[in-house]
Amino acid sequence: MNTKNTDVVAEYLHEIDVRLAGLPVLQRRELLADLTAHIASEKAERNIQTEGELIEVLERLGSPEVVAAAAHEEFGPVAAAPVKRTIRWYWPAAAIAGVLLVLFVCFGLTFSRTSSDGPAQQEIAPVPTEVVPSPVRS
Amino acid sequence: MAELATSLRRGTLEFCVLAMVEHEDRYGTEIVRRFGEEPNLAASEGTIYPLLSRLRRSGWLDTKWAESPSGPPRRYYALTSDGRSALEHFRSEWVSFRQTVDRLVGTGEAA
Repeated sequence: MNTKNTDVVAEYLHEIDVRLAGLPVLQRRELLADLTAHIASEKAERNIQTEGELIEVLERLGSPEVVAAAAHEEFGPVAAAPVKRTIRWYWPAAAIAGVLLVLFVCFGLTFSRTSSDGPAQQEIAPVPTEVVPSPVRS
Repeated sequence: MAELATSLRRGTLEFCVLAMVEHEDRYGTEIVRRFGEEPNLAASEGTIYPLLSRLRRSGWLDTKWAESPSGPPRRYYALTSDGRSALEHFRSEWVSFRQTVDRLVGTGEAA
């Protein structure tokens, strides 16, 4: 029974350790030592005998996912990494959007110039022909 | 709803931890069990240990291992003078913060 209990605890701690990858080694070791001490004092102070009781202790501690997530939140540059990634994703998108905007504006200006210059020249063009002869006539 | 509780807990839980060791040193399991009994703070017990570790690293808590009369060695946590002033600062901030929220949300006694 004792070996069985140790197996459950060892497996539980291993599952947490696996999920602490990327955290500084001392924080990892400290957390595992704290959890080990916690389980040991629960066993001693609550006089835990069966594996079922031991599993209850582990359930109160929380699933390996939950405990590891808390560790990442407290210690992790890993927790900050996704934020940086999203920021890094925004920059190229913003740059592309900016380039596209500039291109659209340039196209818009050239088109509006050619389209407004075209008729303007055509409209103006007859005017000088009328205006130029008129001073000649006068 | 769980998300709201998590957001509210963030930023306040650590001061509840500091207050718990204000008058006497306590060992990890003792602190963790005490939180387990509070339904509003009910985080999984294992999530308290990373918090304790951070508070120690930021110099607000001191720890020492000591033999226990019955069972394995215990890691005791004590409030440092920095931790004490952080707790005092939180207390005054919290009171005015709570009053403002109560006034705006309508949860104050006058409301």
